[in-house]
Amino acid sequence: MQLLEYAIRGVPTGCVFALLAVGLVLTYKTSGVFNLAFAGQAYVSAIVYYELRKELELPLVAAGVISILIVAPLIGLLLERVLFRYLRSAGSMAKLVTSLGLLIAIPEIAKLLFGSETRRNPPPLWWVRRTDEWLWPEGATFVLDAGQVATILSTVVVVIGLVVLFRATNLGLRMRAVVESPRLAELSGVDSERVSMAAWMLSSVLAGLAGVLVAPLFASLNPFDLFTLLVAALAATVFGGLTSIPLTFLGGILLGVLQAVLAGTLPTDSVLTNGLRPSLPFVVLFLLLLFRPGLRTTRELTDPLASVDAPPPPPAARARPPWIATSARVFGTVVSLIAVALCWFVLDSYWLGLAISGLVLSVTMMSLIVVVGMGGMLSLCQAALAAIGAFAMAQVVAGTGVPVVLGLVVGVVVAAAIGALLAIPVVRLDGVYLALATLAFALMFQSIFVPLSWVSGGAVPITVPRPVIGPLDLSDDRYFLVFVIVCAVATALVVIRLREGTTGRFLQALQTSDVAAASIGINGPRARVVAFTIAAGIAGFGGGLAAIDLGQASYEASFPYLIGLVWVALLVSAGARSIQAAVLSGLFFFLFPALLDKLFALPGNWVDTNPDAPSWVAGIADAIQPTWAQSVAFILFGIGAITYAKHPEGSIEAQTTASVNAIVRRVEARNDRHRVAAGAGGSAP
Amino acid sequence: MTETTTPHRSSPLRSLAVTAVLATAALLAGACGNSESSGGSTTTSASSPETSALDQTNVPVDQPGVTDTEIRVGGVASVTNPLGGKYGDTFLGARAYFEKVNSEGGIYGRELNLVAERDDKLANNAAEIEALLQQDDVFAILPIATLLFSGADKLVESGVPAFGWTINPEWQGTPEEPKSNLFGQNGSYLCLGCVQPQVPWAAKQAGATKAGVLGYAVPQSSQCADGWEKSFQEYPDAGVEVAFKDSALSYGTTDFSVQVSKMKEAGVDFVVTCIDNTGVVNLAKELKKQGVEAVQFLPNAYDQELLDEFGDLFEGSFASVSFIPLEVEDKPQGMQDYLEWIEQVGGTPNENSIVGWLNAALLVEGLRQAGPEFTQQKVIDAINADTNWTADGFLTGVDWTKSHNQRADVNCTPIVKVENSAFVPQTGADGRPYVCFDIPSGSLEPITR
Repeated sequence: MQLLEYAIRGVPTGCVFALLAVGLVLTYKTSGVFNLAFAGQAYVSAIVYYELRKELELPLVAAGVISILIVAPLIGLLLERVLFRYLRSAGSMAKLVTSLGLLIAIPEIAKLLFGSETRRNPPPLWWVRRTDEWLWPEGATFVLDAGQVATILSTVVVVIGLVVLFRATNLGLRMRAVVESPRLAELSGVDSERVSMAAWMLSSVLAGLAGVLVAPLFASLNPFDLFTLLVAALAATVFGGLTSIPLTFLGGILLGVLQAVLAGTLPTDSVLTNGLRPSLPFVVLFLLLLFRPGLRTTRELTDPLASVDAPPPPPAARARPPWIATSARVFGTVVSLIAVALCWFVLDSYWLGLAISGLVLSVTMMSLIVVVGMGGMLSLCQAALAAIGAFAMAQVVAGTGVPVVLGLVVGVVVAAAIGALLAIPVVRLDGVYLALATLAFALMFQSIFVPLSWVSGGAVPITVPRPVIGPLDLSDDRYFLVFVIVCAVATALVVIRLREGTTGRFLQALQTSDVAAASIGINGPRARVVAFTIAAGIAGFGGGLAAIDLGQASYEASFPYLIGLVWVALLVSAGARSIQAAVLSGLFFFLFPALLDKLFALPGNWVDTNPDAPSWVAGIADAIQPTWAQSVAFILFGIGAITYAKHPEGSIEAQTTASVNAIVRRVEARNDRHRVAAGAGGSAP
Repeated sequence: MTETTTPHRSSPLRSLAVTAVLATAALLAGACGNSESSGGSTTTSASSPETSALDQTNVPVDQPGVTDTEIRVGGVASVTNPLGGKYGDTFLGARAYFEKVNSEGGIYGRELNLVAERDDKLANNAAEIEALLQQDDVFAILPIATLLFSGADKLVESGVPAFGWTINPEWQGTPEEPKSNLFGQNGSYLCLGCVQPQVPWAAKQAGATKAGVLGYAVPQSSQCADGWEKSFQEYPDAGVEVAFKDSALSYGTTDFSVQVSKMKEAGVDFVVTCIDNTGVVNLAKELKKQGVEAVQFLPNAYDQELLDEFGDLFEGSFASVSFIPLEVEDKPQGMQDYLEWIEQVGGTPNENSIVGWLNAALLVEGLRQAGPEFTQQKVIDAINADTNWTADGFLTGVDWTKSHNQRADVNCTPIVKVENSAFVPQTGADGRPYVCFDIPSGSLEPITR
């Protein structure tokens, strides 16, 4: 009987999960995009509703209509027109990376547009100021508040409406057709442009509705709470196979019920409880991805005509003539030496420290090259694997007193071993499912293992000393810089060796066609497991270096999973197969916000030192906030990922290819001129 | 009754709930680890030495950031944080104090200038502290109000006096490594998981008999919950037993229906938590929904803006504060000065700016004690010799000979009660706006100090 009581108590929370999950599934069904930016879109509508209802005191219906039925679809329309229309035939990775970029950029844009002040007590979608001001039925065993009633009613209406849309209307059928193949749909007379716009507007309405309904669950409004809830709801989307609305709804309800039943029945002071309860949604997600019948064989929503498209161009490094390659190497070496000399002699310890942190990050970025660029697997857990390497190293060094360099090796081995264990089940999943499984792993690691003191050290991070190698004390940042450069070069050589070796070629073949690769005897899963394991080891190495750099193995400071998502977006947009991109994106991650900081502070500093500056200049200086630096940096990181749609090879790779082509064209033109001149000279009497 | 101040206060909890990840560590340290306030044996009055005129003897001093005319100071705060917490207001508080001192001619013939206000963005604390040490040429670093304090070791190594907001365990030293140059606004010892007599005392005041304890499944929060549980066990005089405890809540949970149902069944009438504001608000709503008449003890909810929105839910609840509450009728000199000068610099009274103010006040006190030929080390030593730092009555008293790494025998905490959506300071044995307990005695009887 008590079990039933707990189960019933879980239903309202289950409805919240269901609403968010149905929104994600709707977007996936109608656009083929697993839209992690759903939380960002929801956040914008929630802010608009807050401002209209609370600040402008508009009536409920007016505020609701504007925020959910006008603003939200306009955002959807904008995203479709500007971005996703170009991605209709793209693979799931391109779409997922683009949504990652939006996830990073949208909240920051919203902050710049609406201000970043704390918005307390978000109003419910009901005729009251606060959810608990309307209770029904009062005094009963089970009481619902205004927010819960609004959510339950909305979720039920949305589910019924969507089921009807997809099963009984032409529009629903067309939406599914356009997602399957816009080109085939057009051949059948469907206007894919209009259908796609309608689909994005509809899914965005649902995001807006979810944002407005879910916001009152929090004391104040912020995008991360919405994203945390969305991530918890992912299990429900997988329960529905990413396609079935009714099953997704059921999955959400079951998740809420299971959570409540476990909270009611498990002991509150056991290790099992401490680990399992907070991580339940992620454990369920992970298990569903591994064991849900039919999921491995479920074909992803990709355009069957995509295979007739031209294959992507080969990397510039391979396509360029040998003389350009030699020149580039010489040029690159000279530039690198000059950069090192600048770091050694010119930079102060602040900029030197940032440059070192950037180079350290580039090592972890190289792990992404192996797993994403070469393996074609969008891993979202590299930050967790880096943390594993850092913790293993820190615990071994602190516990046994072994030298830090040896500790680094232990970190690599532990991270690689855990990576291998994770890879065995995970590499059999495709595209978005693999991304979700690795994200679930990252979240499980965060919820279950990071709080354990034998893993992370507990409340205070474990201190990691800088090593002393022979006469070199790496406490001196300049020596440490050299050490990090050596480590980065060694990692790059491993990656290049892997890329040029058998495994690299197998992976390349697998990226082109799984079936064709299998037909010539390539064992796809084995090659992927090898790649994933090596990438995990490299991530562990990068994590260890990051801990040495910071002086402590701190999950919060160095490896949170959200920062890991930013790394992925950054590297993939720069070029997921390029060492150069890994190094530059690592440096960019640390140096760019600091440079922007300086840039935004310039006007204010100038006015301070020039009291006679014109008032309009002072006005501009006042308006520019140095604190914009972080927001602008993240918006640009996000926009970088969005450009992935146009340049799937990455912006740096695209730039390199363009430069190589330009040089080759110029040289060929010059040779032609010489030939013509020589021909003319030769024919002269 | 002259109290008209309506401060906007921000709690570390709200501000620190950054991301699900970044938040949990720092947030809960803030929630449950109010730095230990102890104090010596004397009381502070408006005419204490802290308010006496500052010496203007200007002798050459060869120290970083010191010229004949100024003493340069720089700080770092998580100005940019995802929730828009008002960490940057700590700069305003420090500036307000320096303005006050400079209006009186400065100290040793020099002005105090806050020359660097750095934003550590997302966990760039170590880098920004490096920049303060290397680029900004400062004599002292203050305020430090950051989500994470990864630059603590750098600061300790540098030996530069540093002052900030004690919400991270890194502020705290050990007997082996006392971190004697790091000064929190109210002591540096966090004492996570310590027995806190003020909790059973508040429960007793509320006439409670059965307590419920809630915490998140992260180290700081669960340690804090263990501390609450131990507090009830160590003080049986309160007559309160822990009838329900759940320290395995997931961060970000919004549903407390099962916990409240169990607490209702167990007859809980007093709930103490180590969770963030969203948590305590949702908990209060659920208590109301299920008709549970229980009072909450809110370790870090001294925040008028919170009450403006949710005050009725917390009627009768208690909150602890790390300084003398602004609502006291007889305002100490330090608070009067703060209210006057924070307005002068265009700020609003809130917890963050109070921290900045207290940090700046402690530096000036250290300079004053160090004498005209001051050095960084002399300032550190002078502060560490102070046995009763009260910031002109703004604090209950910090004994800096102990407050880096150990708990004082006498624990004094200002406690407020929510009445009609406002905070009402509770008085101790001697009528002062804080309650003191003699920890070794194990007695729950407030003592006079």
